[in-house]
Amino acid sequence: MPRKLTHQTKSLLLVAFLLLIWWFTPVFFKRWTNIAFHEFQAPAWTGLSYLRDLRSYWVLRSYRKSELIEAGVEMSRLNAAYMLRNQQADFLDREIERLEAFYEMPSYEQFHYEVARVVRRDLTAWWQQLVIRKGVNYGIKTGQAVVFSGGVVGRVSSVGAYTSTVELISSPHFRAAAHIEGDERPVEFRGGDNPGLLPATGHVSTVPADIIATLKEPVRLTSSRLGGVFPDGLTLGWIYSLDPSPDGLFQTGKVMLDPRLKHVREVAVLIPFEPRPGAEEQ
Amino acid sequence: MVPMRRHYKKAPERQDNPVNTRIYLMYVVIGICMVALLCGLAYRQLIQQESFAAAAERQNYRRILMPGPRGIIYDRKGRVLVGNRPLFSAVVYLNELRTEFREEYFNLVRRQRDLGLNPDRYAMNIEARRNVVMRYMNRLNSLLEEEFTVDSTDIERHFSQSLLLPFPLITDLSPEDYAILIEQVPIDSPIQIISGNARWYPYGEAAAHTLGFVSDSTEFPEGTLPGETLLTFRNEAQVGRSGLEKSFNNHLQGTTGGEIWSVDPGGFQHERVVHEVPSKGQDLTISLDIDIQQAAEAAMGTKTGAVVAIEIETGEVLALVSKPAYDLNDTAPYISFEVDREIREKGAWLNRAIQGLYPPGSTFKLVTAMASLRAGAVDENTIVYCPGYFQVGRRRFHCHRRSGHGEENLIGAIRDSCNVFFYDRGTEIGVWAIANEARRFHLDRKTGIELPAETGRMLVPDPEWKAARFYGEGWFEGDTANMAIGQGFLLLTPLQMATFASSLARGVEFLQPTLLHDAGEAEVDNPISLRPEQMALVREGMRQAGERGTARLAGNPNMPVAGKTGTAQVRKDGRPTTLAWFVGYAPVQNPRIAVAVMVEGVPEEETNYGGGSTAAPIAKSVFQQYLGM
Repeated sequence: MPRKLTHQTKSLLLVAFLLLIWWFTPVFFKRWTNIAFHEFQAPAWTGLSYLRDLRSYWVLRSYRKSELIEAGVEMSRLNAAYMLRNQQADFLDREIERLEAFYEMPSYEQFHYEVARVVRRDLTAWWQQLVIRKGVNYGIKTGQAVVFSGGVVGRVSSVGAYTSTVELISSPHFRAAAHIEGDERPVEFRGGDNPGLLPATGHVSTVPADIIATLKEPVRLTSSRLGGVFPDGLTLGWIYSLDPSPDGLFQTGKVMLDPRLKHVREVAVLIPFEPRPGAEEQ
Repeated sequence: MVPMRRHYKKAPERQDNPVNTRIYLMYVVIGICMVALLCGLAYRQLIQQESFAAAAERQNYRRILMPGPRGIIYDRKGRVLVGNRPLFSAVVYLNELRTEFREEYFNLVRRQRDLGLNPDRYAMNIEARRNVVMRYMNRLNSLLEEEFTVDSTDIERHFSQSLLLPFPLITDLSPEDYAILIEQVPIDSPIQIISGNARWYPYGEAAAHTLGFVSDSTEFPEGTLPGETLLTFRNEAQVGRSGLEKSFNNHLQGTTGGEIWSVDPGGFQHERVVHEVPSKGQDLTISLDIDIQQAAEAAMGTKTGAVVAIEIETGEVLALVSKPAYDLNDTAPYISFEVDREIREKGAWLNRAIQGLYPPGSTFKLVTAMASLRAGAVDENTIVYCPGYFQVGRRRFHCHRRSGHGEENLIGAIRDSCNVFFYDRGTEIGVWAIANEARRFHLDRKTGIELPAETGRMLVPDPEWKAARFYGEGWFEGDTANMAIGQGFLLLTPLQMATFASSLARGVEFLQPTLLHDAGEAEVDNPISLRPEQMALVREGMRQAGERGTARLAGNPNMPVAGKTGTAQVRKDGRPTTLAWFVGYAPVQNPRIAVAVMVEGVPEEETNYGGGSTAAPIAKSVFQQYLGM
């Protein structure tokens, strides 16, 4: 009987032993294992992502010629519209440069955009992150801002050789400085508890008491350059109501995030331009 | 024959042998012990139960009190004079650094042993804590490009006295620094960015002495949070230290909230069991009109002195200026040594309107005039010839016009501020009549305005006072002459003179000044017990002074003012100088506002301030602002 018991518990003891070894394993080894495991998985994720792209390609190939012509015409229209908007943007850029020169203001810090495909989503109550198909090989670094057409996606939380992990703004571990649109005072934005199925939300605090948000007239929460990561004016979400804090100085509220965050397939990492050598001396 | 062996029956063993007795004794002893234990148990369980429960509670729970923010102070038109502004701070919870403290401590001890030294464990503990906290501070420094440090004394004090409260690393972060930290400090870091509030003064220096300042203190009411017997940590509240902030501290003070935490044996936080949200204190609407206040302050410029304006109908103080002043924003969230020194060096701590004591000069002639009317020494036909001086014994008292005013009646004497007229009438009626008249107008006591530290050392002298003060020295006629024109020993505050002017305008002996707006009916004392025709003489004298006399610069043809100026001779820092005074009211026919202005001369600059030339134009700015003319 005791022998049988020992036999039965052998596997459990082994697990306990391994856990004990892991417990005492040096931190650098654990970290190395973590990175190695991530890098080991990354090609598989990337490969799968390419396969999905290929599948999309063949799906598109299966369309009839007339449909493609129609789509082409629509795309031409869109292209024309975007070209027009690009021209307007160029004009505004030049205007900004002119005003900066006129008021002798330092030039606005510029970024270049590194567009990357999303290869994996991890959207649970614990994690809210994406893996994108570009890493150190494209100059991406931890902490850089990630955006999409709907506004802010999140921040790069770790970078691998060919992939990067992005912490979404819906993550409970995400915090950023923000502005209420049209107001210069910084407020605090935090991701919320988002179990995955419900629309993503965040939480805003230290909103000045004079800001009003209603269901009919919600206010837009935008990113702030003050924090040093995001440029000004990118959408974080919308606020429909604000509750006053007990001290009467601030308000807090829930932020409704863009529902497309959960399905985003392509994002852009904002990589700040490195200052040119000798630029400061000039 | 073999004798038959006798068989003895074996005697039974004795039951009550000595051993058994001892056992019984033992039973008894054990029984007594058990009873004693049971009694002790019962005593502890039934009688001492409450105190043990309380002790256990004290040991297992900690209470943190959080004061509520203070109420807002508004002026009479609802403009914010004192508000609250956000105060962002970077703090660290020492509670969350236990493991790091321990690791750092072992590292330090190991290092000492490697060097062959015997480690001082107490010192190592202190150093370990400082090193760890400094590590976090350095992290903030690198983000903000600053060079803040932490003091191990502060850490130890906090560790021993306020372990459950956050330890401040950087207080009063700028909005930019706040944004950087909330974005770049990880959310689960022991460093937390917390928001509080500090007093905010949108008008800076305006009404600084009246509004007052606050300072951090742990002395505040406990509120309704249970657990009075628990070990309690108090966050610092803002407590009024001067001005209205002090007078109405209880009104403005918020309701205290707080938390009760269960703690582990080391005293570190485990779980929050009670949470009560603090709430804001009540707001306060005061009588000041910030426009009038600012107009008065602007008119004073860089001069030293005071201005008080009172609404005659209500007794509400519309402006209360004391110069030099200080920017109240420099006092929040605390007064630094540099700010304190700067304020002290320019003498700005003193609220000259309620604490400064000055001879009122010729403005006091109005009191002498009423005393003379009451004594029957003056009427509308009384004429006194002014040759430019008045002889008292062997001493000659001069009029301010050395060539003399010629024949003057009461109206003319007030209009021209003729000293000789009042020397003559004052010495005629005597010191007691003048002193009693002054006392009738409450000039010998505090006004009772809702401000702390109003001086009570004002002085309306009389022979008894002089005898007591100067070891039996007698009262001379010269003293009476001096007092009749507001010189000599007489000392009053600008607020008293403003109250006097408003009382005179209203026809009462005392109009209670107040700093509260809409506080109800004005509080007044008896009507001035002079006949209307007698009062009319005084008022006409003031009207003519405002129209074409010494106070003419206080009004204009569209804004007739009744006033009286004064230029008192004083010695400041051992050197002679003047005090320029004005008291008066407007409009003449239907008085609505009374003003008193006092400007101190500066001996070093040899200023030649006069009541008519210096104080009256300042009063004019106040009248214009209030009457809109």
